[in-house]
Amino acid sequence: MATTGHNNLNAKLVLLGDMGAGKSSLVLRFVKGQFLEFQESTIGAAFFSQTLAVNDATVKFEIWDTAGQERYHSLAPMYYRGAAAAIIVFDITSADSFTRAKKWVQELQKQGNPNMVMALAGNKADLEDKRKVTAEEARAYADENGLFFMETSAKTAANVNDIFHEIAKRLPRAQPTQNPAGMVLVDRPAEGTRAASCCS
Amino acid sequence: MFSKRDLSVEIQSQIHILRPSIHARRANISVKFQDLYGFTVEGNVDDANILNEVREKVREQGRVWWGLEASKGANWYLQTHVTSALKSSLKFSALVNGITLKKLIRKGIPPVLRPKVWFSLSGAAKKKSTVPDTYYNDLIIAVEGKVTPATKQIDHDLPRTFPGHPWLDTPEGHASLRRVLVAYSFRDSDVGYCQGLNYVAALLLLVMKTEEDAFWMLAVLLENVLVNDCYSNNLSGCHVEQRVFKDLLKKKCPSVYGHLEGLEFDVSLVATEWFLCLFSKSLPSETSLRVWDVLFYEGAKVLLKMALAIFKMKEEELLTANHVGDVINIIQNTTHHLFDPDELLTVAFDKLGFMTTNISKERKKQEPAVMAELDERLRRLNSGS
Repeated sequence: MATTGHNNLNAKLVLLGDMGAGKSSLVLRFVKGQFLEFQESTIGAAFFSQTLAVNDATVKFEIWDTAGQERYHSLAPMYYRGAAAAIIVFDITSADSFTRAKKWVQELQKQGNPNMVMALAGNKADLEDKRKVTAEEARAYADENGLFFMETSAKTAANVNDIFHEIAKRLPRAQPTQNPAGMVLVDRPAEGTRAASCCS
Repeated sequence: MFSKRDLSVEIQSQIHILRPSIHARRANISVKFQDLYGFTVEGNVDDANILNEVREKVREQGRVWWGLEASKGANWYLQTHVTSALKSSLKFSALVNGITLKKLIRKGIPPVLRPKVWFSLSGAAKKKSTVPDTYYNDLIIAVEGKVTPATKQIDHDLPRTFPGHPWLDTPEGHASLRRVLVAYSFRDSDVGYCQGLNYVAALLLLVMKTEEDAFWMLAVLLENVLVNDCYSNNLSGCHVEQRVFKDLLKKKCPSVYGHLEGLEFDVSLVATEWFLCLFSKSLPSETSLRVWDVLFYEGAKVLLKMALAIFKMKEEELLTANHVGDVINIIQNTTHHLFDPDELLTVAFDKLGFMTTNISKERKKQEPAVMAELDERLRRLNSGS
């Protein structure tokens, strides 16, 4: 009975990216399995939660889906503060949205939680004929900056569950499994595991 | 524009099926129906019944207003401005009218009178009268075909503004909303276009019926009714309101405030959308519009009172919440099902107790802190890593 408690993880996740990149659509696909051609524009942010089973643990995501317009930028810290993970979303048919995604990455690197798991999502992958950002370019950027990259389509559902699943797998586990004495350690178990993947 | 009569007939027939004879145990069945302004609402049978009662109350309110027009003359409410000028002139009848009017507005303006009453009492009519009659038409002709960052963003949001609405989500509705938003973006380039205004302008169009009146309502709202810089550059006005709201909540609901702080729940997480969309995205349409009735007459502090009232109504339930998610669910469940506007307005005006806080003073006090915080953030972002 104790183990279930140990293997349950709550993780705050924030979605950031340009307006219309498909942040809300990704969340709607992940949480409800739905897709709407025209998703209401998000004001401030919307909240969702969804639980995923990964290996022997469950991860409950508390998802903040934020507004994309530039001037809402000043509200963002409220949503990414204390977040364990972020998905930075751009639209593969818009070079501007990729530029904006890079700005978000920079901001999170400067101001976000240093152990944050960051994913870069090139959304609208179904619109191949309108593509403006190549997968190679985005992947190279992601590699350089310690993110993992996936192309997603909220419309076809391609890679949507996968990106959340991958995040769940990469989340640092709060409780080291071998700590039988129940000693409380200073909260720094993630350092060792993250160092290998994020620094280049 | 769609015919209002068609809509109401449709609503009548749909609601008729749901009349109270239905067993109470079926109250959990979720039904979809259209409300007074054509929005599709999902609720249970109780919600449908409440909406029915609200429609009846709206009719009664209409009779009261028509009665007053008959006894005091049409446009009687125009001679009521409770300003210092009035107090010094001591025009007793105007003062009585002013008191009557304030109470009356808090009980709701009948939907048919809304365009006329809003237009006069908000100051939109006065604003419009200071420019040539052709102002709006000239403006939309002058800006036609121009492409700016604002127009691009507006175009992007048109189909994403209350999608599925029987009029707003049609080519005609999109075109109307576009003209209003684009025209405004040129009128005030500091504001340009801010997401959130799409919902506000859309609801204004539904109420005002003409594009030009909706445009002037939007103008008076942004330029006179709401706090400054609510929608411009970094939303600093909105940040100020959020701080004022937090202080008010601390005073009026100290236990909830403390509990939420313990959960690391920042009330701005829910209140930002309320203040930027003026509740239009969170409350059922008639309830939003009842808030707007008072907003246009009493000013922006009304939004703070409504936000407080929502927390106040759910005080006990909120104290049992253990997670951020619980809090959000309680709040959203409440706002989405507030089909009876009086439920909210009664709390806002009768149950919050006397407002000792001078809100404009409070805003002034918060401004420097907000500016400093925003500047500091910008500085850190622009500094080398």
